[in-house]
Amino acid sequence: MSKSETRSPVRIQQEDFSQDEEVMALKAASQRIGGIATFLGCARDFSEGRSVSEISFEAYGSMALAEMNKLREEAMSKFGLLEARIVHRVTTVHAGDNIVFIAAGAEHRGPAFEGCRWMIDELKQRVPIWKKEITPEGEAWVTQHP
Amino acid sequence: MIKILFFGPVVDRVQTCEMQFEYTPGMTLHDVMAHIGAQHPSVFGIVSFIAVNQNQVHDRQMALQDNDEIAFMAKFSGG
Repeated sequence: MSKSETRSPVRIQQEDFSQDEEVMALKAASQRIGGIATFLGCARDFSEGRSVSEISFEAYGSMALAEMNKLREEAMSKFGLLEARIVHRVTTVHAGDNIVFIAAGAEHRGPAFEGCRWMIDELKQRVPIWKKEITPEGEAWVTQHP
Repeated sequence: MIKILFFGPVVDRVQTCEMQFEYTPGMTLHDVMAHIGAQHPSVFGIVSFIAVNQNQVHDRQMALQDNDEIAFMAKFSGG
């Protein structure tokens, strides 16, 4: 059994994650899965017309984790997913670093795509996590939902 | 005791991430907000979400209980 198979499907963590391990763990949940859609959010080096050197994340940890668990359960019910995983890093990242990973597994691709899209959209609206962009000109909290 | 938490850009307005208030029977969320607002008039301009014990609330007349945890949060920007 790999390490990822024993880890919770919903996590907030400082350290990086492995997409391969997350997908492996998702597949291990059910052999009925025929389609897996994933979303990987990563750090950009440019935002709102400025260079961004670092992005710092802050979370209301306990509430964020509870809300992420809730939206995973809602997605599984709403789209008939067989398994779903959500991992969000809360730390300081640099351009190209991983931030968030979402995977949705279903019998077919349609619900997998829809469930994955729904989870990242809902996460941005509902989960108490904030990002601050550090630029050569200074720091600025991000308040938009692009 | 009532525990007050601030997150994200709200921290910049109050210059702290945590406060504590002595609990008094009958105390409401509005009472706490009025007290904080008097000290930091600009703070609630950026508060988009309020949670009591990690559940989002909208009713500012909500009666508080001893040991409640209140969080004042700006618009989320995770992901």
